[in-house]
Amino acid sequence: MKKRIVLVVAVFLVSTCAWGESDPGRGWARAQMCAGCHGIADYRTAYPEVYSVPKLGGQEAAYIVKSLQDYKSGVRKHPTMNAIAATLSDQDMADLAAYYDTNKGAK
Amino acid sequence: MRMLTLVLTAGLCAALLGADAAQAGDEPGKTKADQACAGCHGPAGNRPISPETPRLAGQQYDYLVQVLNDYRQGTRDNPIMSAMAKPLTDKEIRDLASYFSRQEGLTAKR
Repeated sequence: MKKRIVLVVAVFLVSTCAWGESDPGRGWARAQMCAGCHGIADYRTAYPEVYSVPKLGGQEAAYIVKSLQDYKSGVRKHPTMNAIAATLSDQDMADLAAYYDTNKGAK
Repeated sequence: MRMLTLVLTAGLCAALLGADAAQAGDEPGKTKADQACAGCHGPAGNRPISPETPRLAGQQYDYLVQVLNDYRQGTRDNPIMSAMAKPLTDKEIRDLASYFSRQEGLTAKR
């Protein structure tokens, strides 16, 4: 019985690790569609309101994932970002976050 | 000639007074940022306490103004940030955005 519990816990841990794995390399490939706006210093959105797009280099990974989820679900609203986030899987979001969060180990 | 001297003297006085004011006065936005924002976003907005909290240091000035306005109006919603932004004046928002945008931190990574 005890063995079985250990096994279940082990399988759970391994599966969650594999699921949560993010890859900055894959993130880089995905980020090519972001660079057209976010990769240009001082680039400004023109619609619906005019202001500079946020800088993402060095941003916290979990914040990036949360923002993309909120854009995908529509909780956070920006027409361009809503359309782009709708195409992203959870894996894509994790990879993008890993690519932009360059602070690993810096804290 | 007399007029020129007068203008130059006035200019010099203004420059000296300006320098004094800058030295004596606090850096705009810093006091408020230290009081209200640093608890979660870290000193200079550069060391968030949790990974779900964004880094602010170096962020674009007008983006920060936009975000704080959105939270204040309720266009963007977050229990903590909505409450923090509600009492801010336009000037406080501009000063905070200016302060954070001048810190070293985020970059426009390609």
